[in-house]
Amino acid sequence: MTTVTATPDDFSGSHAHHDDHADHKPAFFARWFMSTNHKDIGTLYLIFAIIAGIIGGAISGLMRAELAQPGVQYLQGWASMMSGDQATLDQAYHLWNVLITAHGLIMVFFMVMPAMIGGFGNWFVPIMIGAPDMAFPRMNNISFWLLVPAFLLLLGSTFVPGGTGNGAGTGWTVYAPLSTSGSAGPAVDLAILSLHIAGASSILGAINFITTIFNMRAPGMTLHKMPLFVWSVLVTAFLLLLALPVLAAAITMLLTDRNFGTTFYDAAGGGDPELYQHLFWFFGHPEVYIMILPGFGIVSQIVSTFSRKPVFGYLGMAYAMVAIGAVGFVVWAHHMFTTGMSVNVKMYFTAATMVIAVPTGIKIFSWIATMWGGSMSFKTPMVWSLGFIFMFTVGGVTGVVLANGGVDDVMHDTYYVVAHFHYVLSLGAVFGLFAGFYYWFPKMSGKMYNEVLGQLHFWVFFIGVNVLFFPMHFLGLSGMPRRYPDYPEAFAYWNKIASHGYEIMVVGMGFFFVNLIWSLAAGKKAGDNPWGEGATTLEWTLSSPPPFHQFETVPTID
Amino acid sequence: MPISRPEQDLPGPYVWRVVGCQGLQGVETLMKMVKSVVLAGLLAFAPVLGHSALAQDNAVAAPAATAAATPADSAAAGNAAEAANATDAAPAAATVAAPPRMKPTLGIGMPKPGEYTLQEQFTSTGRQARWLHDIMLLPIIVIISVFVLLLMLWVMFRYRQSANPVPSKTAHNTTIEVLWTVLPVVILLAIAVPSIGLLADQYKPAPKDALTVKVTGYQWYWGYEYPDAGIPEFVSNILSPEKALANGEPNLLAVDNRLVLPAGRPIKLIITGSDVIHSFAVPSLWVKMDAVPGRLNEKSFTIDKPGVYYGQCSELCGARHGFMPIAIEALPPAEFDQWVLSQGGKLAGATAAPAGASGPQQGSVLPGPPEGAPAAAPAAAPAKI
Amino acid sequence: MATAPHHTLVDRNRRTMIVMAIVAAGMLTLGFASVPLYRMFCERTGFGGTTQRASADVAVTKAVGHTMSIRFDSNVSPSLPWKFYPEQKTDTVTVGARDMQIFIAKNLSDKPITGTATFNVTPTQAGAYFTKIQCFCFTQQTLQPGQEVRMPVLYYVDPKILNDPDNKDVQEITLSYTFYPVENGKKPS
Repeated sequence: MTTVTATPDDFSGSHAHHDDHADHKPAFFARWFMSTNHKDIGTLYLIFAIIAGIIGGAISGLMRAELAQPGVQYLQGWASMMSGDQATLDQAYHLWNVLITAHGLIMVFFMVMPAMIGGFGNWFVPIMIGAPDMAFPRMNNISFWLLVPAFLLLLGSTFVPGGTGNGAGTGWTVYAPLSTSGSAGPAVDLAILSLHIAGASSILGAINFITTIFNMRAPGMTLHKMPLFVWSVLVTAFLLLLALPVLAAAITMLLTDRNFGTTFYDAAGGGDPELYQHLFWFFGHPEVYIMILPGFGIVSQIVSTFSRKPVFGYLGMAYAMVAIGAVGFVVWAHHMFTTGMSVNVKMYFTAATMVIAVPTGIKIFSWIATMWGGSMSFKTPMVWSLGFIFMFTVGGVTGVVLANGGVDDVMHDTYYVVAHFHYVLSLGAVFGLFAGFYYWFPKMSGKMYNEVLGQLHFWVFFIGVNVLFFPMHFLGLSGMPRRYPDYPEAFAYWNKIASHGYEIMVVGMGFFFVNLIWSLAAGKKAGDNPWGEGATTLEWTLSSPPPFHQFETVPTID
Repeated sequence: MPISRPEQDLPGPYVWRVVGCQGLQGVETLMKMVKSVVLAGLLAFAPVLGHSALAQDNAVAAPAATAAATPADSAAAGNAAEAANATDAAPAAATVAAPPRMKPTLGIGMPKPGEYTLQEQFTSTGRQARWLHDIMLLPIIVIISVFVLLLMLWVMFRYRQSANPVPSKTAHNTTIEVLWTVLPVVILLAIAVPSIGLLADQYKPAPKDALTVKVTGYQWYWGYEYPDAGIPEFVSNILSPEKALANGEPNLLAVDNRLVLPAGRPIKLIITGSDVIHSFAVPSLWVKMDAVPGRLNEKSFTIDKPGVYYGQCSELCGARHGFMPIAIEALPPAEFDQWVLSQGGKLAGATAAPAGASGPQQGSVLPGPPEGAPAAAPAAAPAKI
Repeated sequence: MATAPHHTLVDRNRRTMIVMAIVAAGMLTLGFASVPLYRMFCERTGFGGTTQRASADVAVTKAVGHTMSIRFDSNVSPSLPWKFYPEQKTDTVTVGARDMQIFIAKNLSDKPITGTATFNVTPTQAGAYFTKIQCFCFTQQTLQPGQEVRMPVLYYVDPKILNDPDNKDVQEITLSYTFYPVENGKKPS
């Protein structure tokens, strides 16, 4: 599909990670702390996301341990450990709310988003469009380094008072008035501030990506020739740009309600707590597409590569993402079906939400059509992508169930919702992340990963997360509410199985980390293009890893 | 201090689990069993609990009375003998005795162990919605998922590298692209029609003579008031595991003072929150409505059958969010009237009581938890310990 | 990094950045502007059961023969030591006819306290038709220790409700108030 007329500098020989070579890399501190190189910043984002993922995943381990059987077994001990003296039962329950809040915020803002957009976006968007770097390299660096204090603020909030106990126990949605009059102490303020900073980071990143993609494409790289991953990041960047400022406004008003006596969300002063929910979900619904769209892009690249076929219905695929992004802004109140909205409003949001199934269906079927007639090989990135397609389908169809406002009356805030969004995020977005990681690992590191460990990682993880999340549909249908540290005996059976699923998943992650360390240390050297003729995007024309500055002579695309 | 809990709160969960896991054909059997247990349970409880002669005289011949007892009832009725009535609200010196506390029926109005589908429904909206889910949505989404899976497996098999070494270069096919755009639209339209119908049904306003009950969510308990009957607000708190067990009720669902409602009469709940947002939810009645401070919501329904229906708060409301359950006791109309009288209330049809005179306002004098329940001291902690 | 077309690229990048920054700032403004916009939207459409307001000289034709039950609900914030209740719990009115309901508030504390009330009606779709001419909720109320006041609400149900298919089955409208203390420093937003 593309021909590169000018090849980059020759870049040969194996070298350690921060070896100073022909292409003028700065010294360690300058390179990693004042970086302006999109690939280095991408690497930093990926490392950050892995660390955040370990913490967020460990928190879910604590939750699955507590939920493995009815009764409150561990929370009080953990709460005592964290506060230093014997915790009351209420403090233990509060700790539960802190755990669910932290798990949600960490996974959304500090794992999936940094990895997808910051990590892979930074690494490959400039390369795929034939640009030497991002449009604003220094702003890029600021975007990353804003995330670190944001994350530390969030982690720090767990150790300061937040109402009944330490930490912010408001849920990732931070609904007023629980987050205002219901949570005394600085914890919620710190968490809100953390969101502000993470949001600012993402807005800067979004501006950077939009500018890069609009202005820095190589000659001949028209919008309609851009790889779908670049399309997905472009749409995502616009969603970030339009949604995050609304969140910023919403949580700023939370802060002033908490600290400066305003009553935006306080009925006592003529405010309305429902307004916060409208604002939050005006951001929150596009946010879930922000997490999944880059995954769509990654999977499109991989499916095409390993089927050795161009993407089927390229334009349909690109504009399906645009459509999903656009419709994503007019469906927010389906998260608020039980707040007491009138019947017409509920009917509108039911219908609008179901519309999203159409572009999503186009994507699923186009991926299958891409494979149809192809010559498929099943390397690790491909099996993750296949897993993504099916698991996302399962998560998508339960979304259609939930879209029905009348049905949602019983599903809302139950484990059915938890199952749904983990199927689209934990089995969707995260599968996309792993697919991308294995796909680009040789390019990023110059080393091949271990195929056997990669396959083992997939299969064990796949089984684990399905055992973990599928029973949650059953729990939700039979009525188990979410955000509960304890449950009636009747829910014990599926909860136990779900907790076993977590154990299996952890084993799968073990393979990942072993693979990661082993491959970095002793992996076989990767060639420029380890995936063969199916890999047609520009990154495969560069060496592995690419030179520190690529495309010093701009490539031209036919 | 971890809460110890007896292994089996309820008789025979394993029976349910075995039955429940036999696959789709099992569902019908299951439903039949459920029905027979309800009927048998009702039949069994009526005489056992009917200590008061009045209750038996007034009791409308429950439909259950026609059912034959099955062996299942002996298990279900196992704990019936010792009904703990110590927790009745009884704020007024009543001349009429309250009907005895109803025993729940295993698996009715509560989750069943190992259950994998919706709870049995006891309102018309619930039955309609369950139909929409079970007969329409679930098959459709299963078929779509299986279709995608089979398609993928076929493609993976047929177009693997060894079977198809030379890939085609096809990247467009307008017909198929139009098809997979239009077909989902058709499916969605097919779903939308009954879905919109369901919404319309759900929002059907209550008739004028509906029994109105005011529900207020507090951190962390519920308050119920019957404005027309003149029964002032009383508070409903979670029961300790020991008490729940002694009562033969499921742990974490049992409450001291239930929301008593009539079966077969239209009911309108007006729902609000006092401090933060709560959500009043009863899965077996297909009811979930947020309790928002500073505004009122309403929800109308008619409960088909007498019984005990459990629910749980469904909007994160702070530390004890998981410990403010809801229990509705739906009585036959005559027994409900008896209950109203026993609480010092007036029956519908009698002249409305001058409202101001009756009963304390919420927020001032409440029975139940100590004032300032939010951020309570450890000592105030749970009824659970 | 510097190649020949780079200079114009820097300008183009800067332009794009400025446009995008303006878009982001616009969304931020929209976020804050949503507070008054949301209120206006609710007042205009009756969204969420927001009631309407009319001046006393608006002439409304009575829809004779069409009656509706009005239920009155009262709440007091836990932080306000007041007693507050309607004189009657329900009333039956002719659609279009003005009616008055008295609410009684009593300060149970030994300090003067100022309170203010929020309100809405259910079913929420009736909000667009429930019109108040005079209401204690339009202003703040100050009660002296032990003082009891009788506060009127003058209202009518707009006869247009009879033509609205969404409201055709509505037989009872509930008007709900919640009284909150006006705290020093908490300015109504």
